Parts: sequence; structure tokens; C-alpha cells
Amino acid sequence: MRPSKAKTYDCPPTLTDLEVLEFCRSGYLMCEAVVEEEVNQRTVEFLDADTHYEPSAILAEDWFVETVLMNPVAAGAVRSLLGSGFHLPVLMSNHRVQCPIADTGGWHVDGNYDFKLELNYLQVFYYPQDTPVEMGPTQVLPGSHLIHNKSRFMSHYGGLRGQVPSTAPAGSIFITAYHIWHRRGPSTATGLRNMLKYFYWRTSPPRRDWVVDADLDFATLDYSTPVNGLLEQFRGDIKVAELFLWLCGQRESFQNLGGQSWPLPGNRTDRPYGFPAELNRG
Amino acid sequence: MGKERILIEEQKRELAALEAELAAGGLTAERLRAGATRLAAGTGRVIQDLLYLQTNRSSPASQVIGMLLIEDGVTSEGGLDADQWPYQTVLEAMRDGWRVVSFPNMALVALNHDDVHGLEFEFILERWR
Repeated sequence: MRPSKAKTYDCPPTLTDLEVLEFCRSGYLMCEAVVEEEVNQRTVEFLDADTHYEPSAILAEDWFVETVLMNPVAAGAVRSLLGSGFHLPVLMSNHRVQCPIADTGGWHVDGNYDFKLELNYLQVFYYPQDTPVEMGPTQVLPGSHLIHNKSRFMSHYGGLRGQVPSTAPAGSIFITAYHIWHRRGPSTATGLRNMLKYFYWRTSPPRRDWVVDADLDFATLDYSTPVNGLLEQFRGDIKVAELFLWLCGQRESFQNLGGQSWPLPGNRTDRPYGFPAELNRG
Repeated sequence: MGKERILIEEQKRELAALEAELAAGGLTAERLRAGATRLAAGTGRVIQDLLYLQTNRSSPASQVIGMLLIEDGVTSEGGLDADQWPYQTVLEAMRDGWRVVSFPNMALVALNHDDVHGLEFEFILERWR
């Protein structure tokens, strides 16, 4: 498949219901070593020649578009999360740093964020080189896309319980919800580290058109998040359920009737009170 | 990081000298007064260390979920594994000589779930040396 003149693209979705739900919970997805080594090396050579922090000319390279931007695994995940005909990147950033760097980049959310329980764009990172923890890969706080914050309020944050370094072998593509809290990790090894960052946008309304499990029971799904402990009790479950239903194109069915009602977890004797019955007819 | 950390190096040396004189049987009342004066005065140059601890509840006994230490003007943050951080609660830090200088201000914590709220509960502690 080729991108359209409008720079949109479609491909088969690859994520299952539970994988889409997991993205709603954690806010990120790692596709490990999905780009061939030959392409990784060619990308590094390109970046050695074009050292600009925005080497957007790489977006005009067919070999890059076909093997990285339209990579079947990564683009299949993007297709699952953003729907058909998603828009391809039009700007490329390279977080190219000379390691080692003892300090971190500082926790932040990137600018022009829009905190909503919706998923209309994705921030994606491509690692053309092996990026072990010693090379300072991006760290994220899983689930933090559900916690509103401003970058200027976060600059004094240091270690955060639950933080995860996105260590990855060469050829990995790391897909994130835009407003997940993240930072450059400290590095101890010596060498140049390239890390490309780019965006995809939704162009079609959300629908549950990924790899669907017809027997999925929305009533008993686990909507908990890694940041449940940072929020009011069950607030994370509620946010994840609302986001997941939005992605399914069924936000109008979402309801929270309070107390022990759906979508809270529990060992119940019956269907959860307040469960929207139409969800399991999807 | 015991209570000795609140003593500066010059105070430690003076204290050690007094202890040695006492052990040797040569400590006089006059020498004790002079030593105590020097201990109280210190060198006049002290350095403030800061410890930011974010917690998951408003209580100082609740779990630490974020930390940043500024010691001798250098920041550090305790590593990736939070279970290995030096303090798991604010109370543990207080027992180790840290003094709370800022408490979470409930008046500033957003009440609406959808407002900006970050980590909400933050204690700032200090230590002089």
C-alpha cells in the first residue's frame, strides 16, 4: 500500500481489544526490533549526514517511508489506535545526543497538549540503534497520560515511583499517548544516540475496527492503570473505561453511576450495576 | 545518614578532641566551656540541603512516590527502583534528621478530577551542614 496524495495511509490493524485497552491503561506500546537492520544502518548514515535536530528530509525518502513510517507492525498498531486513513508524519525530530550525560532531560509533557479522554494523535519514537539503559533512552511514567500536569510545574520532579526506561534493541518503534510524562534518561555509556520522533494523526471517527474478540465482556475487563495509586481510588479505572469506550466509538454509552457500579472492579454476584448493556452487543 | 550529618566537619573535630581529653582524664571545666562555645558557633558557613518528597496521600506517613535530593548543591534522585530510595515515607526522613519546611497545602490542591493536579502532595525538607 502507498500513502495517498493527502499523506494519509491505511493498512490492516494489528492490535486486539486487550492490546488497545492496555494502551489506554499504560499510554505506550513498544514494538521491539520491527525494522530491519539494513534500514537501521541506512537511517544512522542519513542522520550522520543530516545532523539538524529536525531532519525532515528523511520523510521524502521512499525507503524510510515504506519501512519505518509504514512498518507493518508499528503502522498496524497506529491504524488500530487512530483508525483508517491516518495522517502520516510531516515533521521529523532527532533527539541526537552525545553520551554520556549524567543528568536527565527533566520530566515534561510536550507542548500544545490537549488533555482529553480521546486519542487523536500519537507521538512515536524510532530507535535506529541499540538503546540500552546506559544510552539514556526516554523514560516514561506509565499511565501518566491520565494525570493532568503542566511542564513548568514538573521541573523539580526527580525519581518517580513506577518510571520505566524505554530500553530497546535497534529497529524498535515506541508509540506513546502525547501527554504521557517523559524525559531523557541519564546515560553512562559513550557514543552518539539518535532517536527519531514523529507524529500520526487521526482523520476518521473512532470505531472498534481493530482485531475484535466477539466474546469480549466489557463488564469484567480490568480498567485499572499503573497510576491508580496517584489518583483518587478508582478514578484511574473510570478514566480508562471512558477512553476505551471513546476509541470503540461508544462514548455515549459511558456512564458512571457512582459507588460500586461499573466500571469499578469487584467480586460481584451479578452484572455490575450501571453496566451499559449495549456494550456487549458491539 | 545518622544524626551526625547535622554536625559540620569542624564541629566533629572539636567534639572528638573533647572526647579524647575526657577519656585521658585531662578535660577541665574551662576547656569544656571553651569547646562547647566552639561547638555552638560552628564555622559560620553552613550549606542547606533540600529534599523534595512527593507522596500519594497528605499524611507524612504515606508512601513516597517521587523524590529529588539536593545535597551540596548537587541533585540526585535515588535510581529507577523506588523501593531502593533512602526514604519510603516522609516520617523516615524526619527520623533521619530532615526538617520539614513546606507541607502540602490542601487549599492549593485542585478539587475537580479534571483540573491540573500533578502529584498533589509534596513535602520539602531541609538539613543544614
